[in-house]
Amino acid sequence: MRKLLSMASALLLSAIIFAQAPTGGVTGSVVSRAGRLPIPGADLVISKDGVIVATSKAAEDGKFLISELANGMYTMDVTADGYKDLVVNVTVDKGYVKDMVFVTMNPDTQVESIDAGSFTEFDMDDSGYNDNPTILFSGNDPYNAVAGYGFSNIRFKNRGYNSEAQDVYFSGVRLNDAITGYSPYSLWTGLNEVTRSKDNTTGLEASEYGTGGYNGSTNVYGNPASVRKGLRASVLTNSSLYRLRLMLTYGSGPLDNGWSYAVSASARLGGNDWIKGVYYRSFAYYLGAEKNFGNGHNFAIMHFATPGQRGAQNASTQEVYDLMGDNMYNSNWGYQNGKVRNSRVRKTFEPVTVLKYTYAPSGDFESNTTFLWRTGFNGYTALDWYDAPDPRADYYRNLPSYSFANSDEGDDQNARYDYSYNELNDKGKLMYEAWTSRSEDYRMYQHLDWDRLYVVNSQAGGRAKYAQEQRHVDQNDFNLAETIRWNLSENLTMNFGANFKYNRTENYKRIADLLGAQYYLNVDSFAERDFAINEAKIQNDLDYYLDNGLQSQKILTNGKYGYDYFANVIKANVWSVQNFSKNNWEASLAFKVGYESFWREGMMRKGLFAGTAEEVAMINLRLPASQKLSPVYDKNGQAVTSKGKSAVQQFITGSVKAYVSRTFQGGHRLYANAGIFSDAPTFSEAFISPRTRNTVIDGLKNKFTYSADLNYQYSNKGYNLRFTAFYTKIKNQSDVMSFYDDSQNSFTNFAMTGIDQRHMGIEFGFSLPLFVSGLSLEGALSAGEYIYTSNPYMVQTIDNSAEIVRESIVPYWSEVPHYATYEENGVIDFDSRVDGSRIQTGFTKHYVPSTPQIAAQLGLKYNINYWFFELNAQCYAKSYLDMNPLYRTDFANKGCFDEYGNLIYNEDVNKGGHAHFYYMTEQEEFAPVFLLNASIGKSWYVKNNQIGFSLQVNNITNNRNVKTGGYEQTRLQNSADKSLYYRFQSKYFYMAGINYMLNLYFRF
Amino acid sequence: MKQKYIALLAAAALAGCNPVEEWGPVFTGSHDEPSAFQPAQMEANISIKDLCKTYSQGVPHKMAGNHIIAGKVVSTDQPGNFYKSFYIQDETAGIEIKMGRNGLYNDYHLGQTIYIECNDLWLGMYGYKEGNYGGQGMVQIGAKDVTGKYETSYLESPLMIDLHVHKGALGEAVEPKVLAEAELPKKNDNQCTNSNVGRLVTLPGLVYTDQAFVLLYPDPNRPHESTDPENRLFLSSDNNNVVISNKANWKIFTWAMSKTNIIEHLENGDWDHATIGSGQSDFGPITGQVSATGMFKDCKHSSGKLMTYKELLIKNAAAQSVSQYFKMGNTQIQVRTSGFSKFADKAIPSDVLSGKRKVNITGVLCMYQGSIQMTVNSLDDITYEDGTPLY
Repeated sequence: MRKLLSMASALLLSAIIFAQAPTGGVTGSVVSRAGRLPIPGADLVISKDGVIVATSKAAEDGKFLISELANGMYTMDVTADGYKDLVVNVTVDKGYVKDMVFVTMNPDTQVESIDAGSFTEFDMDDSGYNDNPTILFSGNDPYNAVAGYGFSNIRFKNRGYNSEAQDVYFSGVRLNDAITGYSPYSLWTGLNEVTRSKDNTTGLEASEYGTGGYNGSTNVYGNPASVRKGLRASVLTNSSLYRLRLMLTYGSGPLDNGWSYAVSASARLGGNDWIKGVYYRSFAYYLGAEKNFGNGHNFAIMHFATPGQRGAQNASTQEVYDLMGDNMYNSNWGYQNGKVRNSRVRKTFEPVTVLKYTYAPSGDFESNTTFLWRTGFNGYTALDWYDAPDPRADYYRNLPSYSFANSDEGDDQNARYDYSYNELNDKGKLMYEAWTSRSEDYRMYQHLDWDRLYVVNSQAGGRAKYAQEQRHVDQNDFNLAETIRWNLSENLTMNFGANFKYNRTENYKRIADLLGAQYYLNVDSFAERDFAINEAKIQNDLDYYLDNGLQSQKILTNGKYGYDYFANVIKANVWSVQNFSKNNWEASLAFKVGYESFWREGMMRKGLFAGTAEEVAMINLRLPASQKLSPVYDKNGQAVTSKGKSAVQQFITGSVKAYVSRTFQGGHRLYANAGIFSDAPTFSEAFISPRTRNTVIDGLKNKFTYSADLNYQYSNKGYNLRFTAFYTKIKNQSDVMSFYDDSQNSFTNFAMTGIDQRHMGIEFGFSLPLFVSGLSLEGALSAGEYIYTSNPYMVQTIDNSAEIVRESIVPYWSEVPHYATYEENGVIDFDSRVDGSRIQTGFTKHYVPSTPQIAAQLGLKYNINYWFFELNAQCYAKSYLDMNPLYRTDFANKGCFDEYGNLIYNEDVNKGGHAHFYYMTEQEEFAPVFLLNASIGKSWYVKNNQIGFSLQVNNITNNRNVKTGGYEQTRLQNSADKSLYYRFQSKYFYMAGINYMLNLYFRF
Repeated sequence: MKQKYIALLAAAALAGCNPVEEWGPVFTGSHDEPSAFQPAQMEANISIKDLCKTYSQGVPHKMAGNHIIAGKVVSTDQPGNFYKSFYIQDETAGIEIKMGRNGLYNDYHLGQTIYIECNDLWLGMYGYKEGNYGGQGMVQIGAKDVTGKYETSYLESPLMIDLHVHKGALGEAVEPKVLAEAELPKKNDNQCTNSNVGRLVTLPGLVYTDQAFVLLYPDPNRPHESTDPENRLFLSSDNNNVVISNKANWKIFTWAMSKTNIIEHLENGDWDHATIGSGQSDFGPITGQVSATGMFKDCKHSSGKLMTYKELLIKNAAAQSVSQYFKMGNTQIQVRTSGFSKFADKAIPSDVLSGKRKVNITGVLCMYQGSIQMTVNSLDDITYEDGTPLY
């Protein structure tokens, strides 16, 4: 009754407001996207500025008519059982009844998309690289609808951008990771139902929550009132990630008393068919309550988390995959007492609490004030060992290629693994046998041998030689966001706001499992190799050592050790987006100005970097003569410190965006965006070795991005397409790659500055009804060129010292030159100018890696009687391997140039010359991929309840040779005569073969 | 309503299935500790000495005949002075097992009995030199060396190691045998002719002789064989190959030298008079510029000026082994220590360097080109003559 009254009031109010205005209306047919089948009974609600002004229901043939609307812009919400909710904008002009012809809805019985963030955890921690695919959400965009889920299995990065280029909001608060910038989907993965309602923008479009970046934005509403009313339960099983997902959600919807509440819980459990050791034991919960107090006041509180653990997958070399006969081999696990145990497990519990106050005294004004707090822990286990053999089965010295490489001085290419068994020496043959025998007696050579680790520890007098550590990145992220929407006039809406973020993240590691030992000694085993004579210098926690009678700290289970520091980040900004609309024109102008600062605060005083001269002088008073320490200085003469606060890095940031759109009769729309961004480097891009010291890379500056796109959209009569061309330049990025280098017996850090990229390409998405009722053709194409356009400057350091190991430009980072040749008397050589220099004829570009630069999908969808069928084909091409800078330096290409610096002509890859140079410098391109996928689903309505299922089968052709990523190892192998360097074999990740996902759902 | 309950019950039933195993092959419960170490039960059928006798000078061979030797471990790579191998000894001799793995002491403990199934392994020698100034080296067990540089190579392959090197019972560390000078091997002795060779021994009353030997490379990542004299710096002799005083010329007063130690010597100018190369191929003092036509012709400053050898030595410094020379009576004893050992930079006490005090050294007695070379496990193995610790 109260609802009816409020609706009546709203209608009355709107009638008064618009009494003097000329009236028009809107008409059309509500149809299914697949085949334009009418959807009788669909509910239509017309609102203006949040106030309902009209309602209607679609007739048996799907048709509807809503009249007596004043000129202006409206929002029309369309809902129907079995279809996804739809929101469309409607403009009534000059008192005409606008014929929308078809209002197309997507069936809700499609394949359940996998949870955002539920990608296989790629174990990249010690490689120096990272891997973060972009996740797109469909909204009503035909490209995103296909690419968003369809391309995710190849870990597609939209437009080649890193995930930090995509702004992800929760309840209006930008939640990209403060330290890395990565998107934060893992915070709510498994809570699909309560995070289903979201706003998306594409590319450069601005949003109501902020100006956004250049790779779109997503705002998850997350408030209880946005959760669909009713009880929903689902059971999902799939064969590529986990066995089972259970999900139960209840949403009250807005109640008469103004309250709304929602609860949700889910569990994801088990292993999968493809990658042994990868498993989930993850849970999720959500609790939310919201009260509409009337008079425009609304308050919501939400709390959610995804506690649990999941096993990670490691990359291996192709040699290892071939020896195992399985591209899904995962070196992270092994047997303990006959049971599988993964050494790399992500363990998280990061609860998020949100308080949101909304004040909307009228439809023209809405203010949202949101406080969001993220806390908890995020740990990642790994094996640690002290002065003991590397326990990993696929350690390169355990592989036949290692013995093969050392067996023949005349052909000593270490990376070579195209050997035949007969070419191997005795050692190599035994290594080959150890890897290829499938007898249980040999599995300790193919996987981690946990049992041996326990035996070693049991004989080490209590001290752990092997332990399982847990590396923590525990965030405390405080956010305050204010957004205001103000409709200044019929043609002008202004959104503006302010954001403040304070993030304090503790980075440390602790002992997760002593593997049968009693303690782990808190000394720096890497430093010990170089400075063993000075016990003070190798202490990870020098203060403990000084305070405890010069005894190294014995770490028990759960004790912190190794490193412990806080990353502190402050971000504040104000922004504004002004939207103008007039007739068929729309435009917006957005800007943002911000301040960012970050600093490191070390909690452990490392013996290597004990402090300033004054601090070291005080420390030395407490040390014997044989252990005196000296202050360490960087190249700028600054003392290198490990404990205490670093210098605060401060940046002014900003962005400006412009958008213009023209809608034409017949459903055509042409629009364009442009933007300039000045972004601060992230904490993770700035500190050379945050585990050990307070030093940031030299020349830390803002990165600048210039981006523009031009778009054409057609949406009419069930046809829907978008075509976009985009162009982006990113200038002056920095990056730090840190990885364990066993040749240095230390972590090595490559700090690169001045990395420029250019991304340009097209996007095309479409949905076309076909001649058979219920049948449609859908497709998406992303084709671009994402390349490096500069040669960055590289500084290599190791954790053991402040000394710069190497610094130089990386001359072959962005491209590799090719030169003219000539032939004389059957001998080929490079042609030269008079001054002797080579004549360049072209170059090979180097590409932004880890995503296909061409991705396409074409599929047929058929809907009939609540059944749906889909068959699609996908093609991916021009995907490249992540590069390391070392291989692209002159240093690594020794022997390839003559005394004047000119490339030597030599076709033998094992001799100094151009063949070897190209082998070292050129980037690996992955083979193109073709995939076939199918799905089927059906839902039944029993009274008001819905039961349904969907089954999807991916990679039907069982293609098990699809590389989804990988990286070059950042190591060099000297040739036997030391005249050349060779690469180490690259490591790869592969996509699972044929896999299924079955979802059963119940909606009450 | 009934349907709701059925649906929820179905979900609960699925969730309840095998909650620990979680639809294998993943086990995510608590892992029990594996069973304790089970020592190998084997018996030797040949002594180390007799096995060594099957070796013919200069002819490494693949062993056959199902020989099994047994011995106790007498070396440890824990302090870093032994590298990728260990010695075992029985009553007849000791022998090095060339394992090719780091951190061996974690798996092969001092005093532990080790059985070697010799079939298919290779027996060869390292350190033999012909001629009046040469002599015997050490017979070793390893794998075939296909490069031809050495007579054996490291086993390396985990499977090869497990097939041939068996871990027996743990035991007490072996007591070293104290030798008199007369018991020391002569230049033509090896394990076949002197039962002390390859075993843990104590040599008492050694006097420092003010000689040291170090070989440095201006760039270890470039060729540095004897055919590449420009990349070799000897700190032992003068230009005429006459051994000269360590104290006066090289000032190397540590057992070995870490990278830091080497850089300090170079920066202090301790070796400025040292010459690159050797007698016939002398490239001048290290303070000079690299040869404009030699292997370092590309080593230039940004100004284009050639670097000096000294600058290269500092830039490419790496830990280096040092041989310090002592005498036991009239017999010269070389104490060779790795630059990667944890005690590399430990200074030799001045009263030892001055010859005022003698030392007792316990280590594995090895032969290298007919000379006696002692390798200690740790500095605890070196005491003053009266038994008091050196440090």
